[in-house]
Amino acid sequence: MITIEFSEVSQSFHGRQIFGPLTVKLHSGRITAVTGFNGSGKSTFLKLAGHLLLPTKGKVTVSDADGVLKQAALREHLAMVTPELRFYDRLTARENMDFFLGLRGRSLTDADYRQLLERVELSAKVVAASYTGEFSTGMRQRLKMAVLLAAQADIWLLDEPGANLDEAGRAMVAREVRAAAQQNVLVALATNDPGEEALADEIIALAGD
Amino acid sequence: MKSSLWPGIKLVFVKEFTLGLRFKAAWAAMLMFALTTLACVSMALQGAPLEPKLAAALLWIILFFASMAGADRSFVDEDTAGTLPTLKLYGAAQMVLWGKLLYTGFLLLCLTVFIAPLFLLLTGAEVMLGGVFLGTLLLGTIGIAAAGTLIAALTCGAQVKSGLFSILMLPVILPVFLPAIFLTAGALGGGSVPLSYLIGMALYDGVLLMGASVLFDYLWYED
Repeated sequence: MITIEFSEVSQSFHGRQIFGPLTVKLHSGRITAVTGFNGSGKSTFLKLAGHLLLPTKGKVTVSDADGVLKQAALREHLAMVTPELRFYDRLTARENMDFFLGLRGRSLTDADYRQLLERVELSAKVVAASYTGEFSTGMRQRLKMAVLLAAQADIWLLDEPGANLDEAGRAMVAREVRAAAQQNVLVALATNDPGEEALADEIIALAGD
Repeated sequence: MKSSLWPGIKLVFVKEFTLGLRFKAAWAAMLMFALTTLACVSMALQGAPLEPKLAAALLWIILFFASMAGADRSFVDEDTAGTLPTLKLYGAAQMVLWGKLLYTGFLLLCLTVFIAPLFLLLTGAEVMLGGVFLGTLLLGTIGIAAAGTLIAALTCGAQVKSGLFSILMLPVILPVFLPAIFLTAGALGGGSVPLSYLIGMALYDGVLLMGASVLFDYLWYED
């Protein structure tokens, strides 16, 4: 059972307060949508949740059954899909996946790889013939989803996961998010998309300042 | 699943090597600098003998600046390509550091293997103490790789990357650079060869490697 607890967390950039003080708790097996207008701090909320950013004030604590998770131990539990994540343009999809998943100690068999591509609806033939730098933005988004699924992490931090995806792609994201929550994954979803908001068990609305 | 260190280091090294082969900017910049300076030195000398101390200083200047043309790219390229956040998310600090450090060391070693014989050939310098010469080149290369990787990591978030890298690199690398010139001069027949310098270089390399390893966790993790 993983929890992410925000205790009186405020975040400011260059003296401008983005949000807070905020006290919330996110739990395994639940989908939490973080909503708010552009600049209200949705992406910042996810970075704080993953300890990829330190809060200006307050504390963010990530815990599992064994205690508080920090640094490398926390990263092992974490997987993300955000617009900021990029793959190596001059590696193929398979090479990128083998590299990033290998860093987590996971190896993919050919069958695993084919199955993942099918799950995220990427054509194996098209993907095999090109470097990821030649992918469309939608294909890159699907590849990010494939790495997320293969990482088998128990915390998913998703920033507009349906961005750049067609209707079938957004349906795939919704299906995978629901399935992950059923498998006890903690899912935090920064979005303004009503379809993605509808997936959530709870909603944190950031008002901004 | 807990990932172990060595396979991760190997993955980072292989990734750097693959990208280096597919995008040859670092290799090309270093080799072009080396070739240009070697050609200039050779043409200026016109067959005249070069005094060992001057030859040693010249060799290390070429090696140092040629390595500067490529060694600072290890983290800047990740930052520019936007892959640093993904690497931070999936890669543990020590895997990334040691993988990149090994690759930079490998790159500099290849550069040294290319430059040193050409330099000796073109300047007519003669190696009297081969072991000392090779040992100095090896320890100097390790020192430049360790200092270069650490400072590249420190400066990759800064706005004025290249300038800052060079400014920080100079004081950190001087304790490697000065004994390396002295020992190389000795190996080329230009005076004594105090072995304590060689031991000092090895110790300083060790301190640099250990310092990089300890500091890198603080750079990689926010908490």
